[in-house]
Amino acid sequence: MIARNETIFKWLLYALAAAFCILLQGSVFQRLTVWGVIPFIYPLLAAIPASYEGPLQGTIFSLCTGIVCDLLLPSPIPCLCTLIFPLAGLSAALLSQSFLPAGILCSFIACAVSFLLLDSFRCLLLWMAGNAAWRAGSFIMLREFCVTSPLVIPVTFLFRAVYRRTHLDG
Amino acid sequence: MFAAAVISVGLAALSLMSTNSSPLVDITGTITSPLKSAYTAVATWFNDMQRYYKDTAALEEENAQLKQRIAEMEEKVRQAEEALEENAQFRKLLNLTEQRRDLSDLEIATVTEHSVTNWTSSLTLNKGTSLGIEVGDCVIDETGALVGVISQAGLNWSTVLTLVDTDTSLGAQVFRTKDLGVAQGDFSLMEQKRLRLDYLPANSQLLSGDLVVTSGLGEYYPSGLVIGSIEELQMDDSGAASYAILVPKVDFDALTEVFVIKSFEIVT
Repeated sequence: MIARNETIFKWLLYALAAAFCILLQGSVFQRLTVWGVIPFIYPLLAAIPASYEGPLQGTIFSLCTGIVCDLLLPSPIPCLCTLIFPLAGLSAALLSQSFLPAGILCSFIACAVSFLLLDSFRCLLLWMAGNAAWRAGSFIMLREFCVTSPLVIPVTFLFRAVYRRTHLDG
Repeated sequence: MFAAAVISVGLAALSLMSTNSSPLVDITGTITSPLKSAYTAVATWFNDMQRYYKDTAALEEENAQLKQRIAEMEEKVRQAEEALEENAQFRKLLNLTEQRRDLSDLEIATVTEHSVTNWTSSLTLNKGTSLGIEVGDCVIDETGALVGVISQAGLNWSTVLTLVDTDTSLGAQVFRTKDLGVAQGDFSLMEQKRLRLDYLPANSQLLSGDLVVTSGLGEYYPSGLVIGSIEELQMDDSGAASYAILVPKVDFDALTEVFVIKSFEIVT
């Protein structure tokens, strides 16, 4: 029973942290334009918690983040983030387990992979719709990542705090 | 008895000789004068204090009344401002419905949010299905220029995909030449707030600055809504067909208020 309560508490904290980031995205970042693009925090939410929580739990959390993202944002297909975010989460979890311990550097690489997966898929969809824009899409992806990357540090600290709070024995 | 009489006579004589008051009165006055001054000062202070408290109470009452009046007037000013704003909206609406009699049912909406991702060009409006707004409804500005098409609608919100979004595609006509084409968003042009006019006839003689309006073909959208003007003509990658780059008439970033066309009459 205690373990179940701890699990609920842990995911509640993760959900609250993610909700805080989504609130910031909607109220602040969405209204900012830097280098012609809006900072986009959702791929960070798919990658960073997964780098701490491992492949299974991380992927499930990323899937939930993807569903929320699809509900909140317009996209070319209704399930774009639901499809891509679990992949991004899995990549981040495998990266943190196999190559780099979870932390700032790991988060940067995991987020870059997350943006790469998401935006490549968007370009692929545009290409499939007969509106190929690989170069413009790549440029947007690059700028999106550059503009969002400073946010990787605070978001990593936030989720690391949640991880440490919920894994006191670790 | 005799002494008293002498003193009385003496004083009477002094009084007769003196041009001012009698010495006794003078002495009495001299002694009591400071006391009178002190008494007067105390009385004045007391009266002043009384007046002060009375005035303060009256001022406080007046102040409260004035505050109440200011609050009432501020409320009236707010109501007047709202009425003015509403009046301006209705004037625009009236002007628009007079200009375009085929647009029979318009709904004013406020833009609550501009593009939310870097991959779409959209606007969020504060009106939705509760006021009859449906997916596919055209959205125009106060000049009658086309802004975009409703792509999602909820109870009290709706999302408009603007003309430059990649999912927007609508029948268009060049006003001067009557050439027909399809105006559609292009991702490579979206950032520059431009769109393409494709499927133009091979012999079209378009000029830069030509006005492009909706064709109304298929009867999905009203005809004659201004899309924008031609900026330049280009050949496609195959080199076999040309397309035009259009500049929308609407400045999407500056939009705060739009009109949703809920129904329209087909003009033949």
